[in-house]
Amino acid sequence: MNRILGMRANDWLTRASISVLGFMGLALLAGCSGGGGSERSDVFVFARGSDAQKLDPADVDDGESVNTLTQICEGLVRFKSGTLEIEPCLAESYSISEDGMIYRFTLRPNVRFHDGTPVNAETALFSFHRQMDPEHPGHLKEASFSYWKYLYQDIEEVNAVGEMELEFKLSKPNASLLHSLAVFPASLLSPASLEAHGAAFQRHPVGTGPYIFLDWRPNQVIMLERNDDYWGEAPTFKRIAMTVVPDSTVRLLKLKTGEIHAMDGVQPAELAALQSDPKIQVFQEAGLNVGYLAFNMDNERMANREFREAVALAIDRETLAKVALKGAGRSASYPVPKGFLGYPDREEGIPLNVEKAREIVAAHPNWFLEPLEIQVMNAPRQYFPDPVTIATFIKGQLDAVGIPTKVVSSDFKAHLNNLRNGDFEAGLIGWMGDNGDSDNFLSVFFASWAAEKGTATNYSFYRSNEMDRLLLSGRVEADLEKRAVIYGDALRLWRKDLPILPLVHGDNIVVMQSGYEGFELQKIGELRLGWIKKSKPEE
Amino acid sequence: MASGSLFLAMKAIPEDPIELKFEKFPDLEQIASERERMGLNRSWLYQYGLFHLKFLTGNWERSLQTGRLATDDVKLFFPATLELSLIAMAIGIFFGSSAALFARVSPSRWSQNLAMSFGTIGLTVPIFWIGLLALVVGSLWLGIFPLGGRFDLAAIPPPDRTGFLLIDSLLAMDGRALGMTVRYLTLPALCLAVFPAANVSSVLYARLNEPEVNALYTALRARGFGSVRIVFRHLLRVAGAPVVTVIGTSIGALLGGAFLTETVFSWPGIGRYVVTAIIDRDLFVAQYLLLMLIMLVFGVAFLSDIVARWLDVVSDSQEGGKG
Repeated sequence: MNRILGMRANDWLTRASISVLGFMGLALLAGCSGGGGSERSDVFVFARGSDAQKLDPADVDDGESVNTLTQICEGLVRFKSGTLEIEPCLAESYSISEDGMIYRFTLRPNVRFHDGTPVNAETALFSFHRQMDPEHPGHLKEASFSYWKYLYQDIEEVNAVGEMELEFKLSKPNASLLHSLAVFPASLLSPASLEAHGAAFQRHPVGTGPYIFLDWRPNQVIMLERNDDYWGEAPTFKRIAMTVVPDSTVRLLKLKTGEIHAMDGVQPAELAALQSDPKIQVFQEAGLNVGYLAFNMDNERMANREFREAVALAIDRETLAKVALKGAGRSASYPVPKGFLGYPDREEGIPLNVEKAREIVAAHPNWFLEPLEIQVMNAPRQYFPDPVTIATFIKGQLDAVGIPTKVVSSDFKAHLNNLRNGDFEAGLIGWMGDNGDSDNFLSVFFASWAAEKGTATNYSFYRSNEMDRLLLSGRVEADLEKRAVIYGDALRLWRKDLPILPLVHGDNIVVMQSGYEGFELQKIGELRLGWIKKSKPEE
Repeated sequence: MASGSLFLAMKAIPEDPIELKFEKFPDLEQIASERERMGLNRSWLYQYGLFHLKFLTGNWERSLQTGRLATDDVKLFFPATLELSLIAMAIGIFFGSSAALFARVSPSRWSQNLAMSFGTIGLTVPIFWIGLLALVVGSLWLGIFPLGGRFDLAAIPPPDRTGFLLIDSLLAMDGRALGMTVRYLTLPALCLAVFPAANVSSVLYARLNEPEVNALYTALRARGFGSVRIVFRHLLRVAGAPVVTVIGTSIGALLGGAFLTETVFSWPGIGRYVVTAIIDRDLFVAQYLLLMLIMLVFGVAFLSDIVARWLDVVSDSQEGGKG
């Protein structure tokens, strides 16, 4: 008996190894001979480092999800390509009442969702009511709708006032609402898709956009198909594949060999080589974000304005942008990007003044006995493509003026947790803007109501009645010039109190093979791939 | 025990996963209601019990990040890793044992060096580096293999019955899909095979050179048997037991290597999924999956121990009598 079993064991091993090898060989041959299919010729492939999380515009905040959804669904209004100006989209026209309390939108006729449902006031209501009303069947219990509370909090009611007329009633005037309605959480989805897909609705977006959601192989690819009935300019490629290539070196290899056509998440160190490569085109412009150093003002020595001033004066932000960002961003003078309401015509910002910093250090030797601890995340963000290098650069500059510094790095979530709870002295962090409005930056950084431990976004724990008053009045002021004055005052107050030190604005960067045209970067960072086409070969 | 320490470890991380789920706009009210919905405001004992009940009944929670059921994600990503790991294991055993046997049967400096270098390379060179090298050679220079991925993006994969693309394409009798699957599988499998190959070759080589095995070999040679016959019919049986144990224990290392291989080769597997879940503080997914993987690693190691013991008994009763 044993002998028979023994025979089997060793025979099995031999046979198994031979058959595995033979099988692999055969299949490899089959693969080589059959691999020349032309399925890819009409597919535009865009690669990024990770997959989308959900495809429900009302319940996402990761760039990958948003960038996918931008091809599939649209809102009532949108940003005119490449600008922060509002233009009509699914609404043909709109009007705002004089007191700023009522917004009316007239919907574009003859537009259908991808499932055939017509776009009218009744079907458009769905996408707003499901976010506002906890009893709505589309208000899924596993969704958090966190944007609604922040960008759209002043919307009290949305009603259909005619077949194609939609009316928004506000609880108080909100000057940035129109911009917010151009951002992804306000996209329209087909109400019928909720019935069709039930709980899986969040993974089957049905919108009106240039591309139709076709298939999702998680962590591999999201496949989109051209919407031949699109109401606007016809999209060109038959399909768009949004694929996942986690390793940035491999992603770039794929771009160079033509396996993918465009990508994001390029490493700053690679940029210079790409810019001189004739087979590659690099799209790059300042993003609506800011990377900054937050000073925890609840900390004893940090509470001294002069301490913060010394740190600010000692850091050469121009050189920081050149050296530590390697061309993937630019230095920041203010907490908001250039061109925002209130941004001064004549930049003053914070000068580099090493002597002054040294004087402050000399005047207060007891402040600088213990090293200043700067906390930083260890994974790249758009505003800090290489956060640890940035922190190390700052350490070098502070050490040089006699402010001993040490850098502590941790993963992003742990870092965020420390900052929100005030468990830090100084921290490197940033903000990616949503709607291009100054309030979307300044209220996040400076409002005292955002300085609650645990849920803070005002990581400096800066509390100022004057600042709160300015922020609140900026929100309700409809007149652009008056708003600009208010935010100008807020920026002056920031300079006086210095709760944060703005460092850099990271760039939006998309890298694409040469030979394609029709692509433009968008200010708020959304990715519009719908109108890319092959360039005509030059004669 | 494993589940207890895992649960405590998850409770011990200083960050609150629910708070951190709201990356941009944290809101106390929403955080509180999420915690309540997930039973996170109950006592630890209750949570611990519930965690097990849900784990054992397969009624796993949804991922905080994607909203998909963790069980669905396991069905989605685990077969990809298992397929890759099993193939890699087979390749590793084949090459590892061939190198060791070859060095034993025709002992020359050359063949012995081969067996030794397998061990050295596999145990010292980082796997992501081997992976990048394999991509450069296999895809860029030779142009035979794709630059990572599991299946052509634009092609339609065979109908999903088992989750294993090799088996699915065989079931669908789709030669083209099979070929594509193998083309995508080859480089990552070869890469991942390096570690088990190294383990198997070094253990087998050492075992084959032990005095008692040597004595058996000399005795059998003296009776006039050919060396190939001796190796396959006798030595493998004697030397097999420790090799099986090594194979069993390298499953854990293989899963560890899977994360790096999956990252370099854009392979949609469970390794990357688990690591992402931990980095994202995706509480339930991390808990369930780590427990599942721990059980898997222990299970395989236990099973291989049983097989090894059985092989030992078999070889004792046979070779013992002869030798």
